[in-house]
Amino acid sequence: MTVFTCSDSLEAMLTCIYDAWYSRLGHDNVRLEIEPIEQLNMFDTYVHVEADERKAMAVADAVNMKISPAFYGEIVYCLGAYERDVLDTVYRVLVLGFKHGAGVLDAYGYEAVSRFKAIRIRYGREASSFLEFVRFNLVEGVYVAHFEPKSRVLLTVAEHFADRMPSEHWMIIDDIHREAAVHPCNEQYYIRKLSAEEYDRLKATEDYDDSFTELWKVYFKEIAIKERENYRCQLTHFSKWKRKHVTEFA
Amino acid sequence: MYEIVNDYTTMDKLRILADAAKYDVACTSSGVDRKGKEGFLGNSCAAGICHSFAADGRCISLLKILMSNHCIHDCKYCLNRRSNDVERATFLPDEICKLVIEFYKRNYIEGLFLSSGVLNSPEHTMELICRTLSMLRNKYRFNGYIHVKAIPGAPAELLAQAGLLADRISLNLELPNSESLKKLAPGKNFNNIVKPMASISSTIAAHRVAAGKTPYMERSKINNRLESNIFSKMRIEAAQNNSILVPERALDRDLSRPFAPAGMSTQMIIGATPDTDLELITVTEQLYKSMDLKRVFYSAYVPLNDDAALPAKGTAVPLLREHRLYQADWLLRYYGFAASELLSPERPNFNEVIDPKCDWAVRHLDVFPVEVNTAPADILIRVPGIGPKSLERIFRARRYGGLTFDALKKMGVVLKRAKYFITCGGKMMDRIPIEERFIVNRLTDVDRREVYSFTDRTTYRQMSLFDMGMKAVSG
Ligand code: SF4
Repeated sequence: MTVFTCSDSLEAMLTCIYDAWYSRLGHDNVRLEIEPIEQLNMFDTYVHVEADERKAMAVADAVNMKISPAFYGEIVYCLGAYERDVLDTVYRVLVLGFKHGAGVLDAYGYEAVSRFKAIRIRYGREASSFLEFVRFNLVEGVYVAHFEPKSRVLLTVAEHFADRMPSEHWMIIDDIHREAAVHPCNEQYYIRKLSAEEYDRLKATEDYDDSFTELWKVYFKEIAIKERENYRCQLTHFSKWKRKHVTEFA
Repeated sequence: MYEIVNDYTTMDKLRILADAAKYDVACTSSGVDRKGKEGFLGNSCAAGICHSFAADGRCISLLKILMSNHCIHDCKYCLNRRSNDVERATFLPDEICKLVIEFYKRNYIEGLFLSSGVLNSPEHTMELICRTLSMLRNKYRFNGYIHVKAIPGAPAELLAQAGLLADRISLNLELPNSESLKKLAPGKNFNNIVKPMASISSTIAAHRVAAGKTPYMERSKINNRLESNIFSKMRIEAAQNNSILVPERALDRDLSRPFAPAGMSTQMIIGATPDTDLELITVTEQLYKSMDLKRVFYSAYVPLNDDAALPAKGTAVPLLREHRLYQADWLLRYYGFAASELLSPERPNFNEVIDPKCDWAVRHLDVFPVEVNTAPADILIRVPGIGPKSLERIFRARRYGGLTFDALKKMGVVLKRAKYFITCGGKMMDRIPIEERFIVNRLTDVDRREVYSFTDRTTYRQMSLFDMGMKAVSG
């Protein structure tokens, strides 16, 4: 088996798909993995792939034109997921997509499709749960949020707030992947990789307690009905790892 | 009426008026998609967005508060009734606006749910509410979700204004018939609730038609797949003999807004009166069909007052019953069931140990098992363990050849329930005797955990002890 490996940027992943495909080793003889590789297998050959814009674009164009733009959208969206096998699953789904067309995503009989769907659903849930649970703090005129997603969902989250708060200065910081979405009032937002020094400076923003933090905590406590107390139900809806950085649980 | 001027801070008022509002169960922000726009704050998403979950496990989506907890009425079940000695407060419109805007910008909430006790008169109260909403929309340029309560007895002009400022408007029926209402809410009368409901309903329909839509509220897509569903033969009876609410005094700016685009909802209290589930679910169906309500909510009665007409304090809150009613409500809205199929005068209440859908299925074993690869949607959706989502997936996947049990599982079908009622390629999953008692026993087993979580006090208490640790950690 030949294993093609790459970093987790979209460009690198699409390039990796390209190289594996055109290696002509046969789809059954290749596997795709995202670095870092956790365990090397001595019977496999590893090939590291560097991002290459031309190759990545070639894959994007082929999927868009030969399968469908919606199919491409689904795949790109899913590639943000943290699951270790997401890249290989996408590769298998592409093989099926080129053969049977976009509708193949409804054919759960295929192992790759059902796996893809499972990842897609979980990833979708993770992304939308942060639309709910991301919390901003007012720091010197800027609304700042920190969060720690397992997957790369910053883009989805930022899109949501760009529509919602177009005329506010705000910033959303993904502490795990060390990226920030920065939105100046009435302007387009941008994504920025954070340097170590920027990251450290931004960490301090959570220590600001603005006057509305307390009001919110009081409301949160008051609105629960004592006779119906049910912490287990609360926990199923709002799992612990997502409570980090959430005002009412801080 | 007296209005005590006191020096409560916003914090005090928030504490008092959130506490007083919490027994209204509706907190959804769903039903309308609206993009954000520059210079404004907020948008809205049809699926609704929850922002947190309170200690009782209920979702927090909106800032749910009362304008005031002063009230001229003396409804027996209500904490804010005139005869109770409780702390009373009234918000200033501006205080509410600031809370909404600042909470919204921190992503605590999706919008506002504003209700109120009756302060001085319905007119005065509704006027205050409208003033607050207008300020929020026009001065503070808030474009997020607003749910407003219509105060029974308020003039049409004010209801018309409220509908233009809010996304959803609700009027609580509280009880399913006029006798129960008379007994528990002597100051209210059924007509005072049903009549404005009817005019709101026709006004929503008129606005929808004017905007080029069908007069009826959008319903789950799954209903298009079902031959029979309660929405298929809708007619808004109200529209024929009710005048439409026209605001004479609204601002031009407000007139350009759709009227309550997320529709109307109501709430009924469960367990304070001897009314049966059949009665509740029949009224629910009627409200969907004739008033085109978007949602009907149920609120398990929490005994708060000592009153001979009511369950005593300390009586267990009927949570399981409330849960069963919600399940039945879903069967009406997403599964093509009619109320009369679920209960009858001989069996007027839901089964405690088994959910209404399974209950229906085991009473109709003659129509099962059905073949997943060929059965029509109407019957497939009635199979326990198959829901609207998995049904949709089954229909799409059928085009790609025969389905297997394995594929069904991956589509989200709950086989431990469904297996008694389906075949796949002519075969059942296990060798299963199609016999009512056997199946009921097995399904009861599957359901037991759920029932326990509502009724078994020992497990319940153990659970909360275990959760106490968590509470201490999270403050
Ligand atoms: S009208 Fe009745 S239910 Fe409403 S606040 Fe007053 S007493 Fe309570």
